[in-house]
Amino acid sequence: MVEITITGTNSITFPHFEVWDWRIVLYLFLGGLAAGTLVMCSIANLRPTKTVEELAKCVRAPLIAFVMLAVGALFIILEIKAPWHLYWGYLTFQPLSLMSWGTWGVPLVLFFNALYILAVLPEEQKHYLRFEFLKRFSDRLKPKMRLIAKINFVAGIFLAIYTGILLASFLAVPLWNNATLPILFLVSALSAGAALIVIIAKDVEIKYLFTKIDVWLIVIELLLIPLYFYGLYVSSAPYKRALEPFFSFKGEYFIYTLALILIFLFLPLALRMKIGEITEFEEHGLPHQFTRGQILRMNIAAILVIAGTLILRGAIVYAGQLIKLSIY
Amino acid sequence: MPRYAMVIDVEKCVGCMACVIACKKENKVAEGYFRTRVVEEVRGEFPNLRMELRSELCNHCEIAPCIDACPTRASHRAKDGTVQIDHKKCIGCKACILACPYDARYIRPDGTADKCTFCQHRLKEGKLPACVETCLGKSRIFGDLDDPESEVSKLLRTHDAAVRLEWAGTKPRIFYVNKRFPGGF
Amino acid sequence: MRWSRRDFLKVVAASGGIGVVGATQVDRLLGLGRKPEGKPVYVPTVCEMCFWRCGVMAKVVDGKVVKLDGHPAHPQSRGKLCARGHGGIGLLYDPDRLKHPLIRVGQRGEGKFKKASWDEALNYVAEKMLKIKETYGPESVALFTHGTISTYFVHLLWAYGSPNLGMPSYALCRGARDIAFKLTFGAPVGNPERVDLKNSKVIVLMGFHIGENAHNSMCQEFAEAVGKGATVIVVDPRFSTAASKAKYWLPIKPATDLALLLAWINVIITEGLYDREYVAKYTEGFEKLAEAVKEYTPQWAEKETDIPASLIIETARIMGKNKPSVLIHPGRHTAWYGDNTQRVRAIAILTALLGAYGRPGGIYLPPKNPLPYYGFGDFCGIPYPENQKPEIHKGPYPFTREEGVIPEIIKTTLTEKPYPIKGWLITGTNLIKSTPNQRDTIEAIKKLDLVVAVDMMPFDHVLYADVVLPECTYLERYDDIFVVKERSIGVALRQSVVNPMYDTKPGWWIAKELGVRLGLKEYFPYNDFEDFLKAKCEALGLNFEELKQKGYIEIPGTANPYINEASEFKFKTPSGKIELYSKQLEEAGFPPIPTYTRHEQPPKGYFRLIYGRVPVHTFSRTTNNPSLWELMKENAAWVNAKVAKQLRLKNGDYVVLVNQDGVKSNKVKLKVTERIRPDCVYVPHGFGSFSPMLKRAYLNGADDQQLITRYAVDPISGSVGMRVNFVKIEKA
Repeated sequence: MVEITITGTNSITFPHFEVWDWRIVLYLFLGGLAAGTLVMCSIANLRPTKTVEELAKCVRAPLIAFVMLAVGALFIILEIKAPWHLYWGYLTFQPLSLMSWGTWGVPLVLFFNALYILAVLPEEQKHYLRFEFLKRFSDRLKPKMRLIAKINFVAGIFLAIYTGILLASFLAVPLWNNATLPILFLVSALSAGAALIVIIAKDVEIKYLFTKIDVWLIVIELLLIPLYFYGLYVSSAPYKRALEPFFSFKGEYFIYTLALILIFLFLPLALRMKIGEITEFEEHGLPHQFTRGQILRMNIAAILVIAGTLILRGAIVYAGQLIKLSIY
Repeated sequence: MPRYAMVIDVEKCVGCMACVIACKKENKVAEGYFRTRVVEEVRGEFPNLRMELRSELCNHCEIAPCIDACPTRASHRAKDGTVQIDHKKCIGCKACILACPYDARYIRPDGTADKCTFCQHRLKEGKLPACVETCLGKSRIFGDLDDPESEVSKLLRTHDAAVRLEWAGTKPRIFYVNKRFPGGF
Repeated sequence: MRWSRRDFLKVVAASGGIGVVGATQVDRLLGLGRKPEGKPVYVPTVCEMCFWRCGVMAKVVDGKVVKLDGHPAHPQSRGKLCARGHGGIGLLYDPDRLKHPLIRVGQRGEGKFKKASWDEALNYVAEKMLKIKETYGPESVALFTHGTISTYFVHLLWAYGSPNLGMPSYALCRGARDIAFKLTFGAPVGNPERVDLKNSKVIVLMGFHIGENAHNSMCQEFAEAVGKGATVIVVDPRFSTAASKAKYWLPIKPATDLALLLAWINVIITEGLYDREYVAKYTEGFEKLAEAVKEYTPQWAEKETDIPASLIIETARIMGKNKPSVLIHPGRHTAWYGDNTQRVRAIAILTALLGAYGRPGGIYLPPKNPLPYYGFGDFCGIPYPENQKPEIHKGPYPFTREEGVIPEIIKTTLTEKPYPIKGWLITGTNLIKSTPNQRDTIEAIKKLDLVVAVDMMPFDHVLYADVVLPECTYLERYDDIFVVKERSIGVALRQSVVNPMYDTKPGWWIAKELGVRLGLKEYFPYNDFEDFLKAKCEALGLNFEELKQKGYIEIPGTANPYINEASEFKFKTPSGKIELYSKQLEEAGFPPIPTYTRHEQPPKGYFRLIYGRVPVHTFSRTTNNPSLWELMKENAAWVNAKVAKQLRLKNGDYVVLVNQDGVKSNKVKLKVTERIRPDCVYVPHGFGSFSPMLKRAYLNGADDQQLITRYAVDPISGSVGMRVNFVKIEKA
């Protein structure tokens, strides 16, 4: 037994980190969801044999991604404690600082995302643009839609990885400080993005496409989570200890175990529902229009996936701060 | 330029906590925050016990994760080799707090990150850091690693010194010497 | 790169000079106006955060004290301060301070007061005191006092005509030790203790926890000795900080310390490990001692103390081998059991056998003091009135001192025998938190016509006062000059660093104003305290201005640490020798050589309540200090880990301690630890204030004193043994 008594501790670091809270969770969640949405809608829009007019199939997704990312960015500004110094972030770029990547990256993503919104805006909705120059700008962007979609695909991947690697860069937090986490966050972001597209898309074909894509992403995610835990478990003591919150059935840690259980309920359930849909449609072929029941079922599966993503981020952000690299 | 370092002779720490409060007063640290602390670590079972008292503070690491994590260069290496914070640049993103494995940092009431400065303002006046100055046991020993005749250099030449979480690879500049139980903790 | 203290001084001198002093300069500083930050001014003074009284350098910026540092020249601080010393700023700026004189409006103990002017408050006190004098005689007013303020109030009490004063520092603390050393060596061991720690090769600490007991220079020398490889032997039921530095930790069964000491003496004598030459030359009664301790073998002691005989022998041999550089620390708080004087006598005897008194690494000799004594009596030049009635404050004990036995005064107040006590002046003493059996104290207060509290903070006892007179803190006032008796003689001055805040006044002013109102004006022939200080400096042959500037002046050529073996050396005992066998005790009807008596051990289910100090607090005086409160807000009751497991208690659980008389403590956090014997519970002293006016300290932690309802009085010295209480642990 080791008894440790410390005089002179700061509550932000003792007995465990209380550094980041739900605001970062929402930032990472909304950022990830926006990233996944951007990637998925770019996939939709880059599919071959599409004429310019047909692209309007996936027009709301960039707008939704933009709003989510902007709201997410608002949450991180709420989390930082001296935002009036933020301009200093734009007077330098620190390649080793993930915060610096975020400071530059998020506005850049928002910028390309904005271009994307304009590029895919259908003619009949152009009247929403208040200013004439925006309309003209939108017209000029339209032919470059594929390029912009490609850029947004990359931006989405960057953003999704960034939300994971931001956590992974912290030496003092063993649960975060490994390379699997960014990949896990990437996959879960993509999967949530696919789910979101399923919800918002009106086109039967798109809904079906992303249901299929999501199946693969969920499978990868369900593989990655145990791998992530396994990697930590076989590492040195602090990393092993970092898993404790996820495997404790009493006390203050139980909520993390519960979170893990929920993730492993929601994702397989979503998977099962989606596979059900696929088999159903493979047998009978895609209908012209889904019934309300079918849509409800699809949306429930998608919401389960999105909820799983949120729970995953929340659990990892909070549980990570419970166990430090040092033993006290 | 000097390479400042501190050696903590844990055997001579009597746990008086003078450093903890002297630091606070010297640096006008706000209520509820600390830049240095004293850790009391007890091992064994009654009556076969061993206890180590050691003071901890910012390690002024040579490879400083806090500097890497900082998006604005608010956390930076000063010319004297110490790790310092430029408060006007700090955005309070707290990344440095999560990067530091030594729990050296906190957010002070103005929203910026804060930590031990090695009493840079005192060093400039030719004084020792406040915690060293007042250390009753002379457990805290401060000096310049580039000066082979400094007490810290001599101690590090003649003793097995440990640093906290050596395997984290941060190359701390706070060294711990335990003459009774050599080999660290 | 390395800086010496001298460099520090140089820097200070270059950046504005040390010597800015006194109220006038401070006024000027205050008048500086609103500049970004003024130039720091350093004022030397003397600390009063505990009673070690270190020299302090106060850094004042724009009229505010911003930092306190150790005075480099003062031998008790040596340029360093402990946590409490640094925390003095917290006392000065504590918003809970007593700010105005108060007069009680509610019941005693309720803490309901109305604000009063100094005139009102002082007139009220004077009127009552004059009435008591008229009705019962002046002896019916007693004074409880501690700290520098005693100087003025003892003078006032004596001038008023009462001999009855009680200082907690005697019977409740180090009294037995001083009597034992006086009996053995002819001189008490002093404050600061004349322990030559830095030269010791073996340091024996019995229930004495240096480090947690953060007496500045003593801690410094202890660490120095540890660093130099001294063998430390710690006898303590608790693995103290000092024990962690020890080669030998002897977790003794509480209350059996004397058995261990006698066994050590036995081994030292039977194995011939004592210093034959020294014993022959300087001691008396060795043969009788050798005969008397024959029965106290290590094997016998093992049964009493739980310490293996082999370990007793081994440690005795280490002491013998390293003689005379062996320091058996006489301790400070020695008020443990009913045989305190005899226990410390055994320490003195062991010290003498090892030839460690007046030798390097043992106990050094008092410095030669060329300074005449100069007190208020000398200053006013009028003799105190003769007492009309016998003094009661010393009790029936043959060997006591003027500081008195506090429980005797309380007892007399309760019984009114031989005469009633009707008025209590309480200055700087939290009677509730320092005196055993709070219930007696509170009952006694009910019998009083007048209770006056002079204090800086609204401590527990202030709740019971009829009149509260707010004293300013040590940073805001002058005090009597301190004659520092460390290795050399020196003098130190406490001077005001900043002006008194609120409507508070220095102790000397309060005593004088009260004196004037009692018709004792001629006893206080000063307007400003500087009048007295200047006169005193003149009498001592010092320059007051120089003292103000330096803060501390050492008198050269006064050091005389070791016995000069070449010349005749006489101890100040009746025989002129170290009295191993004490004729004085024998004549007074006590065993001339310490004999062991067994003390009661806790019954089943109970634990012995032991208590001690923490480095960041001084008794109950600092628990509300914002700077120190921050470091330790409440205390925790230490319980052995195995015991806790049996009781199904976890670290951090809140429990209530209930003593043998059914007194329940406030709820207290449990510290489950391997660092304590299973048969006792340790509670850091001074917490759990009952005074709601102390907003931070109020009911934070448990008050050990509350549980000390029982005490054993040492019949020799009147020292009050307080480690005789048993508690059980109940869930809160």
